Amino acid sequence: MTRTFSGDGIYIAQRDFQQILLRGKGDGRFAETVNGEISLLPPKDNLRMISNENYLFAKQSFDQWSLICLKNKEEEALSRMINTMNSNDELLASDCSYGQVYFEFSGDKMKDYLNKLTHFDFRSKKFPPLTIAQTLIARIDCTIYNLEDKYLITCNKSYEDYFKKRLQDTIDL
Amino acid sequence: MTDNKIYFKFDGKRYGGNKGDTIASALLRNNVKLVGRSFKYHRPRGIYTCGIEEPNALVQIINEYNEPNVRATVKKIYEGMVVKSQNRWPSLKTDFGSVNNLLSPIFSAGFYYKTFMGPKGFWKNLYEPLIRRTAGLGKPPREFKSKSTHLHHNIDILIVGGGLSGLLAAKKLAGTDKDVLLIERENELGGILKNSNKVKSVNDQKTSEWLEKTERLLKNSANIKILKNTTVTTYNYSNHLTAIEDRSVGIEPDNKKSELVLHKIRTENTILANGHIERFLSFRNNDLPGVMLAASFEKYIQRYDVVPDNNPVIFTNNSSTFSLLKLLIDRKSMPKAYVDVRDLKKIEKETLDLLEAYNIPFYPKSEIEGCDGNSGIKNISVRTKKNKIIKIKASMLCVSGGINPDIHLFTQSKGLVKWDEKILTFKPEKSFQKTITLGSVSGNFIFKDIIDEVNKKLNFIDGVNDIDLKIEVNGSEEFNIKEIWETKNNNNSLWSKSFIDLQNDVTTKDLTQAIREGFDRIEHLKRFTTNSMGTDQGKISSINALGIVSKLLKKSVSEVGTTTYRPPYNPVSFSAIAGRSTYEFYDPERKTPIHPWHIKHNAVFEDVGQWKRPWYYKKYENETMNEAVQRESKQVRDSAGILDGSTLGKIEIKGKDALEFVNMMYTNSFTKMKPMSAKYALMLGEDGMVKDDGIVCKINDNHFITTTTSGGAANVLSHMEEFAQTEWPNLNVYLNSITEQFATFNISGPKSRIILSRVFNNIDFSNHKFPYMTFNTFDYLNYKVRILRASFTGEQGYEIYVPPKYALTLWERIFYYSRDVDLVPYGTETMHLLRAEKGYIIVGQETDGTVTPLDLNLNWMIGKKKKDFIGKRSLTRSDIIKGDRKQLVGLVPVDKSYGIEEGQHVIEDKNIPSQIDKPIKMLGQVTSSYFSPTLNHSIAMALIKEGNRKIGSQIYVSTSNMNVIPVEVVKPSFFDPENKRLLS
Repeated sequence: MTRTFSGDGIYIAQRDFQQILLRGKGDGRFAETVNGEISLLPPKDNLRMISNENYLFAKQSFDQWSLICLKNKEEEALSRMINTMNSNDELLASDCSYGQVYFEFSGDKMKDYLNKLTHFDFRSKKFPPLTIAQTLIARIDCTIYNLEDKYLITCNKSYEDYFKKRLQDTIDL
Repeated sequence: MTDNKIYFKFDGKRYGGNKGDTIASALLRNNVKLVGRSFKYHRPRGIYTCGIEEPNALVQIINEYNEPNVRATVKKIYEGMVVKSQNRWPSLKTDFGSVNNLLSPIFSAGFYYKTFMGPKGFWKNLYEPLIRRTAGLGKPPREFKSKSTHLHHNIDILIVGGGLSGLLAAKKLAGTDKDVLLIERENELGGILKNSNKVKSVNDQKTSEWLEKTERLLKNSANIKILKNTTVTTYNYSNHLTAIEDRSVGIEPDNKKSELVLHKIRTENTILANGHIERFLSFRNNDLPGVMLAASFEKYIQRYDVVPDNNPVIFTNNSSTFSLLKLLIDRKSMPKAYVDVRDLKKIEKETLDLLEAYNIPFYPKSEIEGCDGNSGIKNISVRTKKNKIIKIKASMLCVSGGINPDIHLFTQSKGLVKWDEKILTFKPEKSFQKTITLGSVSGNFIFKDIIDEVNKKLNFIDGVNDIDLKIEVNGSEEFNIKEIWETKNNNNSLWSKSFIDLQNDVTTKDLTQAIREGFDRIEHLKRFTTNSMGTDQGKISSINALGIVSKLLKKSVSEVGTTTYRPPYNPVSFSAIAGRSTYEFYDPERKTPIHPWHIKHNAVFEDVGQWKRPWYYKKYENETMNEAVQRESKQVRDSAGILDGSTLGKIEIKGKDALEFVNMMYTNSFTKMKPMSAKYALMLGEDGMVKDDGIVCKINDNHFITTTTSGGAANVLSHMEEFAQTEWPNLNVYLNSITEQFATFNISGPKSRIILSRVFNNIDFSNHKFPYMTFNTFDYLNYKVRILRASFTGEQGYEIYVPPKYALTLWERIFYYSRDVDLVPYGTETMHLLRAEKGYIIVGQETDGTVTPLDLNLNWMIGKKKKDFIGKRSLTRSDIIKGDRKQLVGLVPVDKSYGIEEGQHVIEDKNIPSQIDKPIKMLGQVTSSYFSPTLNHSIAMALIKEGNRKIGSQIYVSTSNMNVIPVEVVKPSFFDPENKRLLS
């Protein structure tokens, strides 16, 4: 279900995605296994991401990767994919689909709006498109995916209520 | 009421002001000059300045925010505003506190330090309460719910000050690829161009036209942002600055919108173009209402169209007052006199010509001896060059003692300043950070030089071009000044004073006395006299104090040095600092997927880290916590209970070397453990002390899932990561936190198996098929659940792990299937009681970072044959294995009707003397204590010295009313020690 918040120059939509958190070196059998499942090779540079119409694949650190399924999969299909990945003993794939919440931010004032909640530098010379960042927003750990015209921001589900209240409060003020 | 008219109240009387007026300009418009009483002596005080540097005109705004100590010279009026004067009773005109002025001869420097020393006991019982009652100015708000917000900026260049220099810098940077933020304190750009009559034209245009065009150009530049009504308050390391924006300028604060915004700015370069502050001069009664800084007088006329007085006397030691003189003459307001300390030869020709042409009484090489009057100036005494005193009847005196570059922010940035003998002030010498100063803040008081300075200092920036500017000024371009800090006075009254700090009521005599008493270092002197320690930080007077001190010490001002300029530049409201981190947003909150159900069922919540956990559930409105906990725990033992354990940390561990990794992280051995089985495990720090505990589930040798304590989840994961990445990079092992991916329910009690068999009717929960400490994953409806047989209550129990999306539905189904089984939801307090009955520890309650597994009698959890694990080596240290360490025991009161208090001391001696004059031998402390409804008496766990040896003996526990109760030391397992119920 999508829930939206909007204000002057800012539009926020909550999205339901599935997510797999991967650990591994990213090369050799890791890349082979993942590519076999999602038809994408892992990005080489830290904090870079690649995507196709089905997936968004980001390198979060030297051995940590985030895979977001942009089109929802059946539980069984997702489970099968994770099991296949985990059959490779050089990687760990953990299902994080329900432990995260996802918000899409857009609008011409989205950077100003977000800077009411975080010190993060959103200028494109510092945070170019198709990169990600992990930082505090409204004092909670979040991951930001720069999708050029919008940002996808995720945080732990347990903060969902607090985070939404802060988003709304920031719009109201 | 016309569009431009605004009405407000001051001390109960209604006044009219113009839109855009400050409280001060509106009061002056109504010829109100007495606005407050001074801090210490309650002397009548007026409006001294026209800006942020104001030391006197502090007032209280009466509204929801009840804002005290507001500078009347800064705060704009709004319709219906209610303003009160401060620090007076019963009224501003008749203030009983002014008795302090009569007693002032005894209130010399250091009065408090010298007077309130004794007799013993007087400080606490008399002096402090009395001083606290009389100290302070305004009244803070009682109920105040701020909506202040924070806003972060990441930019390339910050320009502080939207005056001439700042605007030129911004103009130069317009259209470049630099992100520029221009901050202006006032509600309009222009600075000196708006405040004074000094500049006649810019580029052959009226200054207002040039300003309008320039502002338009800047607004159309995509790379430049302008913030008005914003004051930069702090300049930190790494070019990080903070600024306060007042969003309620000229309007009543709206409690639905933020009234203040704290801007946090991170910039590559900072351009300080924040101008200068005029300083005053010390003379007899220089605090009387009617004395005002000359530039401020000019600013009231220029910016607010208010002439504070038609015929003031002007007193100066420098050339800057020419513009005021000309302005007054242009407006047909002839000054009563012009008093100049300088020699006739040093005074500019333009000034002399004007004075002569308009026949204005002129006193060169003269000074003001003093002022007289009760609540305002009546007479001004001039000491002429022939040392003759001439009295002039006048009600206002405009004073200029020179110009100080506003170096506060520059010095906060750790930039170095240097005394300039020519302009008699400190000016920036060397930047410590990437800081550029422009205009008068850099000591450049000559307009025609500013453009060259801007071009020269900013040409290092890529993409900028030289700009040109033609400035025509009124009067001479040169700045000329004569040194004077205080005038000679005929001190013929004990109550006449020559002030050096108006806000803190410090006189020049106090400085002399302080030096006489040995406080000859400027930082010591400042603290002894409280000079420049008010909220204005002595903006108009601190340099004067240095001047006077240098004369007294017969040193140069350079040798005396400056005091430290500390942030913030001006007072910052606590609400602005807190921002939205107040009330409902004080701390981020974490909720489990079952939270709405808990609320519906009257849960009272406990904060565990940021988690909201049900503490207990109220069955009826008046049920106390104790009653609820007794009921819940009894019901768990009698039938079954369910706990929302979703907050438990969960970590997935996988890799070829996962088994070795887990063996190293925990004390237990996992090598022989069967797949799909689980083990209660203990994690130590390198010091051998218990760090965390949890259950390790082994899927296979390469794949584990572990649980952690709720509060320790993040620490345990980072502890594991640290060792995986830095100590054992050779191990092929990866970790992921899956805490949020699973909600967890703990169902326990004799009927738990019945309930689960109904919910998951295709699973065999028999002891044979599903023994204790085993787990499995099952398909349930269209998702997977993992069920582990484990218990923290000592009852038959299960933990269910389910994705949060399905958690609430499953939770409710469990209750649906338990309608006839009397399943009770229980909170953390009942969990604590139930585990204590079994003697299970809680990390953080029975441990405090100094407790080893041996102290807890958990030796059985240490894999004796393991070659290594974190903390192993420390467990063999002599101090760890010595016999007299504190060990975990159980305590039961000898008289079962007594309760034992948690946290109390455990002692050997039953007698506590009424007067404790020597340490009482302490055996240890009570770590947990509860009343057990199952056993019908109190039970406690305690860490006591040689605890194991004391089992069976009688010792004592102190009580909060200085008594002791006798207790028996028992093994820390009070209920079902054979684990029959657990394994049933």
